[in-house]
Amino acid sequence: MIQKHFTIKNAQGLHMRPATNFATAMSHFPCSVTIRFNGKEVNAKSPMLIMAACIKGGSEIDLVCDGAREEDAINAASSMIENGFGE
Amino acid sequence: MIKGTAASDGIGIGKILLLEEASLEYTPHSVEDPAAEVERFRNAVNELIAETERDAAALRAAAGEKEALIMEGHISLINDPALKGETENLITGGQCAEAAYEAMCDMFISIFSSMEDEMMRQRAADVRDIKSGLLRILLGRRQVRVDDAPKGTVLLTRELTPSVTAGIKKGNIVGIITETGGKTSHSAILARALEIPAVLSVPNALSVLRDGQPVIVDGTAGAVIPDPSFDELNEYTEKRERFLKERAELERFRGKPTVGADGAEYELVCNIGKPDDAAKVMEFDGEGVGLFRTEFLFMDRTSVPTEEEQFEAYRKAALILKGKPLIIRTLDIGGDKEIPYMGLEREDNPFMGFRAIRYCLKNRDLFKTQLRAILRASAFGDIRIMFPLITCVEELREGRAVVEELKKELSILGVPFNKDIKVGIMVETAAAAMLADVLAAESDFFSIGTNDLTGYTMSCDRGNANVAYLYSALQPAVLRMIERTIKCGRAAGIPVGMCGEAAANPKLIPLLMAFGLTEFSVSAPSVLRVRKCISRWTRDEAERAAQKALSMTTVKEVEEYLSGLVR
Repeated sequence: MIQKHFTIKNAQGLHMRPATNFATAMSHFPCSVTIRFNGKEVNAKSPMLIMAACIKGGSEIDLVCDGAREEDAINAASSMIENGFGE
Repeated sequence: MIKGTAASDGIGIGKILLLEEASLEYTPHSVEDPAAEVERFRNAVNELIAETERDAAALRAAAGEKEALIMEGHISLINDPALKGETENLITGGQCAEAAYEAMCDMFISIFSSMEDEMMRQRAADVRDIKSGLLRILLGRRQVRVDDAPKGTVLLTRELTPSVTAGIKKGNIVGIITETGGKTSHSAILARALEIPAVLSVPNALSVLRDGQPVIVDGTAGAVIPDPSFDELNEYTEKRERFLKERAELERFRGKPTVGADGAEYELVCNIGKPDDAAKVMEFDGEGVGLFRTEFLFMDRTSVPTEEEQFEAYRKAALILKGKPLIIRTLDIGGDKEIPYMGLEREDNPFMGFRAIRYCLKNRDLFKTQLRAILRASAFGDIRIMFPLITCVEELREGRAVVEELKKELSILGVPFNKDIKVGIMVETAAAAMLADVLAAESDFFSIGTNDLTGYTMSCDRGNANVAYLYSALQPAVLRMIERTIKCGRAAGIPVGMCGEAAANPKLIPLLMAFGLTEFSVSAPSVLRVRKCISRWTRDEAERAAQKALSMTTVKEVEEYLSGLVR
């Protein structure tokens, strides 16, 4: 299991487009990917659950990857979050 | 005439086609063979995805890439592992696919509809759309299509879903009327992308209007006229032609710099009231923000917003603007803008009273909180600070001293901010206009607020019907104030903008160009119109017009003269 802390950089936060792109990217990895935010755990492969968590720009989240290729998953996630989901 | 929400500009004249939604009623039942039911559910999901992909392709051809992305967003929601997985769990537990899917969708709909963010609330409509799509397939009902609607069709429906929109042939559908949906709903966005006039949220539209009825849709005014008379038809046909001609002309100015006929460059920015409005600035091709009113942050709540809340709001606007200028006006309360929890005393004469910069300089903590939030946000874009209601140089000096003090604090703490942040003032009082030469020496920029400047100069309240006739930015007294302010600013080498309604007034624009205004700040939908107007004038021609206008002694003469010059 690996865990990493992030600050969401894009202004609009994890709304439709970033949530969908992120979930799609994460679903390519066999490991589980979970967002810990505001005391909740969210399956990061589900755009609906990510959006329902209402993660705004500037929010602090922890990302937990557990299972096969967990390191690849967290690296992919890092680069998406760090460049503000291309927004 | 029935009023609704004006959602997409233009006039449509045609016959109503009532889109009746297929009934999605069913009787929930328990299932004998859950595995077979899961299979039935999965097949329906695949069919819905295939259908949505076809719709996306149709929409891409009809409206464009951005609109097609809405449908592609639907595909990822239909494919959502949580939604699919939980539905399958419910089915395995013995529920029928219809009931299981509806339960899961309704849960997400209720989460999304209760969110604060307008954009997130839209997701509820998306989920509703995919829910109906899947239920329709499960129940074997036919999809409502508009592909074969004849020319001159006005669509009447409860809600315009993207899947219906995808079938719209632009040449055939001339108008859209719905019973629900707001200005920012998908229906509205899609209608605008397709350039089809639309009036949404028409109360009881489905019962008041009927299939086959002749109708006029005025998407600019937000009006629906059923069974129009001959005269109304004539009037609106003419309006329609004028509108189409003007739209085609304005579109030529999109993406172009704002220049006069002689090539002189101007800045054309927008007035906004919320961070989300910054997205509208981008949509309407504004070059930045000349006035961000911050009052909204303080209204409709019971306590002062924290520094963090304000920082988030300012930063969000800056990020959306991607480096374009963002002038943030510090709190302008008092006058007609009351905020209960601030404990402002009732005054006999609030417009002359304790408001705006006067209030902020006396309530230092509140002022500092706002300025600190603005300074911190300045690390994320081209943010500038503007003080409202300045009447004397001491106010500007005191305000600037607070900014300097906070800059020192932030430097010590190592918090990033723009060290060269520009600090300017609103010129909206007669005092500031008269003192413009002195203020210009200590201000980084001016922005003329014509609404208040007109009111204060003419000593008249435009809300008072008995004196409203005096209220005009074309009054010779007001024109002299404006001229003086711009000339003093330019003589001191600072940029001078205007953020009142007058900046978009085609009668005044040549005068502003002649006086030397550098920045026009207007409402986002006015951007292209103002850019076009500016492009029609050279500085020389504008100066001749200004000279003539300033030689006139009454507002009536000025008004008549300038009306004749509108380009």
